[in-house]
Amino acid sequence: MSNMHLYDVTLRDGNHALRHTLSSQFVKNYCEQADKSGVWAVEVGHGNGLGASSYLVGKSAESDEALLTAARNSLKNTKLAVHSIPGFATIKRDLVPALDLGVDVFRVATHVSEADVSKKHIEFLANKDVIVHGVLMMSHMIDISGLLYQAKLMKSYGASAVILMDSAGYFTPIDVSERVSAIKNEFEIEVGFHAHNNLGLGVGNALSAIQQGASLIDGASMGLGAGAGNAQLENIVAAGTREFSLDSEIYQFLQMSKLVEDSYPDKLPRTTSSSTQSGLAGVFSGYAPQVKAISEEMGLDTNTLWKEMASRKLVAGQESMIREIAQDLMNL
Amino acid sequence: MNDLKRIRVAIIGTGNIGTDLCYRMLRDPRFEVVALVGRRADSPGLQMFNNQLEHLISTGIDGLAPFLDEIEGAFDATSAFDHKVHWERLADSRKWMMDLTPSKIGRPIVPVLLGKIPSMTLQEDVSSNYSMVTCGGQSSAPLVYAISSNSVGIKEVEISSSIAALSAGPATRLNIDQYIDSTEALSSLISGCKNVKAILVLNPAEPPVMMRTTVNISVESCDVDQAKISAHSIIAEVQRYVPGYELVVEPHLQSQNTISATVKVTGAGYVLPEYAGNLDIINSAAVETAVLHAAAFRNMVNK
Repeated sequence: MSNMHLYDVTLRDGNHALRHTLSSQFVKNYCEQADKSGVWAVEVGHGNGLGASSYLVGKSAESDEALLTAARNSLKNTKLAVHSIPGFATIKRDLVPALDLGVDVFRVATHVSEADVSKKHIEFLANKDVIVHGVLMMSHMIDISGLLYQAKLMKSYGASAVILMDSAGYFTPIDVSERVSAIKNEFEIEVGFHAHNNLGLGVGNALSAIQQGASLIDGASMGLGAGAGNAQLENIVAAGTREFSLDSEIYQFLQMSKLVEDSYPDKLPRTTSSSTQSGLAGVFSGYAPQVKAISEEMGLDTNTLWKEMASRKLVAGQESMIREIAQDLMNL
Repeated sequence: MNDLKRIRVAIIGTGNIGTDLCYRMLRDPRFEVVALVGRRADSPGLQMFNNQLEHLISTGIDGLAPFLDEIEGAFDATSAFDHKVHWERLADSRKWMMDLTPSKIGRPIVPVLLGKIPSMTLQEDVSSNYSMVTCGGQSSAPLVYAISSNSVGIKEVEISSSIAALSAGPATRLNIDQYIDSTEALSSLISGCKNVKAILVLNPAEPPVMMRTTVNISVESCDVDQAKISAHSIIAEVQRYVPGYELVVEPHLQSQNTISATVKVTGAGYVLPEYAGNLDIINSAAVETAVLHAAAFRNMVNK
């Protein structure tokens, strides 16, 4: 499987789990290990990507520049990657400095139904000597024909790959296989898949994506990521070497996961009753603390609240809506 | 219809913004809408106003040229690129323009801040160009003013807005960086702080969400009680021209030395649906500015 690339989001999605306290020292230590592993790229930054440090979604302990510089200095073989959401990041303020710092892979991300917002950013990057991917976040919130339409938009702007993010950890292996194969059958583009572990299916979903021809597979050491965490990178490698003759050595990936485990023993994500409920409902699992607090305050069942949040198609960044929805339920 | 007291205007652009402006001004006794200007005869925006105004023009700015004597000014709801062309064409004809595009040609204006900020004054020239900046700018500016005018040592200003995805038109989607730059420049102008950040989240939730804007300002010190009083009073002033503008979270200490407050904007529901408060506030600001400008300078126009 030499055309299959492992994509390490530990230092970006994992920053959600660390509440954006990631330090350039840890980035350096981790990247030195990752560079020996054969992992294709390491993504670095705030959980919501370039330029996202804010009161709204959380302030980073260190600047994008400090984190990216630490990574750049430690990566020789592995590519340096960033996640970037238009609306948080702008070309001038964020993408241009990241280009100057030597970032190799740019992932421009939008909510799954809003790909047209990425046009200028993808077009700008496609004209530079870098790799550009389009990312569709919360990709379960649209039907397959809608997904194909949005993926085609990103391709038309110049993205060489489209990455499907299961941001809520909602998909089963069958869902993943249907979506990846639909894109592969419809048009020529690299497909990537980014799993979350709410239903304990992260690694299984990643394998399902590989089976249908996805060639960019996201994972995080120890699953360090938002909510219930991502697919564990070391386990994708372990299972992948058996199932797909993945030519990666497990040893080095275990060094990386051990580094995470030893550095952040109390930050490691796990599935909980709340993350299972949010995964089943298909709602961004980062809302768990608010859902718990508001449900307790109002004497409301958390599962009922998650379901109603799902039926209102709540997306990330709508913390202020949860209380309104709970109040509506109480008034029924 | 040649009531000299009414402000005679043209509206350029027949999309959501242009048609909403036309609809509301046709019902506003302060205005006479002389022309609506589109670029296609089959434009649904033009057809919506069949037999309702003197000139329905489908040939763009060229089509408006013969009727310039009949208007005092124009509202431009096209695009930043087109606005530049339109402004150049009108430059010699002594008309004011209310720019609803993000072109940044005109002077930024938030009607409620006239006279409160030194740089925000009516332009003493007939051929004036006013920029309505952005929805995030219009909705955050009163809060930024209320908090920063009661603070010392402003270190950082952050404006985050979420709007219904359905209310974000193609121009906003394509030019999201321009939106951010313009919103940041306005916040900087009002607060005097260079360290500003604007964030825009497009929200596809159903039913569509009302526009919400949250302001976070980091300061050395702030008289929070006074900021609350200022916020309530300035919001009441804005409500005179944007009835759906409300303070949902009063200025309060969010964390050490950070003051936060939130407003919600519900649209008036003319042509645009109620959830499109982001578009409503821009149109309301343009109408209010036109009234104020015309009141101050129409004597010059009529000479």
